[in-house]
Amino acid sequence: MQTVAVPFLITEVPAAVAVLDKNLCFINHSKIWLSEFNILDKNIIGKSYYNVFPETPTELIKIHQECLTGKKSSSTGQKFILTNGEIQWLKWRIHPWKNDVNQISGIIITMEDITSQKYEEELLLKAESIARIGGWSVDLVTKKIYWSKITKEIYDVTPEYDPNLKEVINFTKASSHGKKILHLINTAINEGTAWDTELQIITAKGTELWVRVMGEGEIINNKCVRLYGTIQDIDTKKRTALQYQEINKRLQIATSGANVGIWDYNLVENSLIWDDNMYSLYGIRKEDFKGEYEAWQAGLHPDDKKRGDEEITSAINGEKEFDTEFRVIWPNGEIRHIRAIAVTQRDHTGKAIKMIGTNWDITELKNTKLQLLKTEESLQGTFESSSIGMVFVGMDGKWTKANNSFCNSLGYSKEEIINLSFQDITHPDDLNEDLALLNELIAGKRNSYQLEKRYRHKNGYDVHVMLTKTVVKNINGEISHFIAQIVDLSLRIKAEKKLTKLLNISGEQNESLMNFAHIVSHNLRSHSSNLSMLAGFLEQEKQEDERQRLIGMLKEASSSLNETVLHLNEVVQVKASAHENMKGVNLYNAITTVQKNISLLLQKKEATCIINVPKNQKISAIPAYVDSILLNLFTNSLKYSAPDRPPIIEITSNIAKDKISVTFKDNGLGIDLKRHGEKIFGMFKTFHKHKEAKGIGLFITKNQIEAMNGSIKVESLVNKGTTFVLNFDKH
Amino acid sequence: MNKVNTSCIIDDDPIFVYGTKRIMKEIDFCNTILEYSNGQDAIEGLTELLKDGKELPKVIFLDLNMPIMNGWEFLEDFVNIPHPFKDQVIIYILSSSVDPRDLTRIRHYESVSNYILKPISSKDLKNVLDKIS
Repeated sequence: MQTVAVPFLITEVPAAVAVLDKNLCFINHSKIWLSEFNILDKNIIGKSYYNVFPETPTELIKIHQECLTGKKSSSTGQKFILTNGEIQWLKWRIHPWKNDVNQISGIIITMEDITSQKYEEELLLKAESIARIGGWSVDLVTKKIYWSKITKEIYDVTPEYDPNLKEVINFTKASSHGKKILHLINTAINEGTAWDTELQIITAKGTELWVRVMGEGEIINNKCVRLYGTIQDIDTKKRTALQYQEINKRLQIATSGANVGIWDYNLVENSLIWDDNMYSLYGIRKEDFKGEYEAWQAGLHPDDKKRGDEEITSAINGEKEFDTEFRVIWPNGEIRHIRAIAVTQRDHTGKAIKMIGTNWDITELKNTKLQLLKTEESLQGTFESSSIGMVFVGMDGKWTKANNSFCNSLGYSKEEIINLSFQDITHPDDLNEDLALLNELIAGKRNSYQLEKRYRHKNGYDVHVMLTKTVVKNINGEISHFIAQIVDLSLRIKAEKKLTKLLNISGEQNESLMNFAHIVSHNLRSHSSNLSMLAGFLEQEKQEDERQRLIGMLKEASSSLNETVLHLNEVVQVKASAHENMKGVNLYNAITTVQKNISLLLQKKEATCIINVPKNQKISAIPAYVDSILLNLFTNSLKYSAPDRPPIIEITSNIAKDKISVTFKDNGLGIDLKRHGEKIFGMFKTFHKHKEAKGIGLFITKNQIEAMNGSIKVESLVNKGTTFVLNFDKH
Repeated sequence: MNKVNTSCIIDDDPIFVYGTKRIMKEIDFCNTILEYSNGQDAIEGLTELLKDGKELPKVIFLDLNMPIMNGWEFLEDFVNIPHPFKDQVIIYILSSSVDPRDLTRIRHYESVSNYILKPISSKDLKNVLDKIS
């Protein structure tokens, strides 16, 4: 044993080997021992192991001692904490050696420092557990499957679980994923190709889980004997990614549905990225777009280019975010309106590096707006120039806006109108009906109503209108205000009144014509019958004195007939006279002239005349009629004066609007109007036992006054006097 | 033909009254003729008769167009005279009116027997006598 070859052999052993004596001093060692343990001392022979490794942990010292007693020790790796605190992993084999007499003479140590190797292993394990990457392998010969701890955790099985091929396939979710993995495995087995795929599995606990499986085949002699690889739990990441994908897709659908284009302008590189919608907004093909700022600018309407530039610049400078509208011209010449909004991104120094924005087409909106504007303009025009009065009425009845016609009809200015409500100037008698109808509108019982009503004009008179009030609702269907339209009926009503008056007049005239016809026939008949009767008597009468009497009566009857014909002729004259003879007549002069003409009669009756008429008072009349009327009234007053008192005649004139009313009052006999009221102005009506009463004077007076567009009324008390009120037109 | 005791003429036309009276005499129409020139006088006169306990005329010839109180008004007042045999008085309207409104109006007066259009003839008066008897 003590040969040269032995120490040499030990020295050259390609492992760290040391031979120690009973005192654990180095007898020999391999070269590698020194390098393995970083021993700088080249000569450690004879030196104690513990001197060479002063940090030897006590556990190892114990093992050494045990081996000296004949035991063997080996370890594939044990962790020691050295006395200086360092961690060291060692792998060893320690045998005692015996001398010739079979006595233990020392130990032989084969030792390896596996600390760094162990570290790596530990890190790998740690990494596996943190990244949740598990290992697996399938021995295709033995069909045995190996799963690492993490793999088992991923599959939610116990550490003791022994996987088999059949069950493993069942873990993959759904057939599509199962098919996919089988296909990959088959390809790997047949062609040795590696794979890297993401798929969903269902764990033992039934959880759906996304995993990334990588694997490859081990080929020996052209035959795949083993598959191995990793499985990583990527569920959270995958789900996030899927969610993101979904959101992105949704956004894409939304933007393309809304025709919103998205652009991304990199200021540093002057690169402009458009999404697909942008191309359709600008009417160009993707291939034709150069992807530069200038390319965008080229599509703008010439009039908007400069402003577009300025707005981009001011956004970059941070003065104002890009938020604008511009026009683009499509290659086919069509002009589209675009709305654009963008945000500017900046680096830490505040320099703009990127703009991201959106574009969308607002052409239709713009056109609609324009159309609306036009409609509004034309509505406004209609509103302003309509001959129908229109006004906006608030819920409280206040007028908010009125047109010219409305203001004109009521006499207020537009400024005054908006300070009024319809309640303010509606005729009190018409207000309740209007309010009741308005309440029906508010209650939703009707959408509009029509009402003939009166407003008070600013100047105080009533304005007759036909009112139509309509509800205006807002977009929510609630009443926002009302529109009132008024048609001014004043003229119509005036015309109606005139017509009614005309109808009355012609009715009256018809009536009086009829009366006249009957009166004529009656009066002429009464005379003619007298004449024929007297003539008959005369024929038979023999006695002369009786004959003379009859002849006297015959004369009387014929002169009566003559008189009647004259009266009738006078009446016909009045009826035939027309308005063209009307002129200004000085009332005062006319009265005094008549007074003079009958002065003898007045004196005889000792009558007093009181004239309260302005000397310049003029009436529109036919002079001869005025004379005839006044004469008739004067003579009537004298004829029917009370015998016990001298007559007092009082004439007074009053001005009312465009009429002049003349009161002719006496203190005479009076007429019982209860009995005779309706026939006082009738033809051939007499009321006094008076030989001069012919019943023609007042009839003619009335006709004359009416021929002059005037009127006459009478008030009388028996034995107190009579008052005639005459109305004439003012001249 | 029985002669009437008293008849009455109410008319403001003296020629007509003369003529009527003359015809009455010719046919011996009545014993006494009362004359009034308007309704007012007639009412007053007739009322006076009753006061004196005299009988009312059997027949009254009444004109329509008269001053003060016309024939219509007389009819209104006459029905108000308080007398039991008033209904036995026969009233004839005598007028030259051919106005249909007058003819219609006459029918509304129960007290009026008939209407005689002027001029009156002896034949008219004979018919009246026939009717009375």
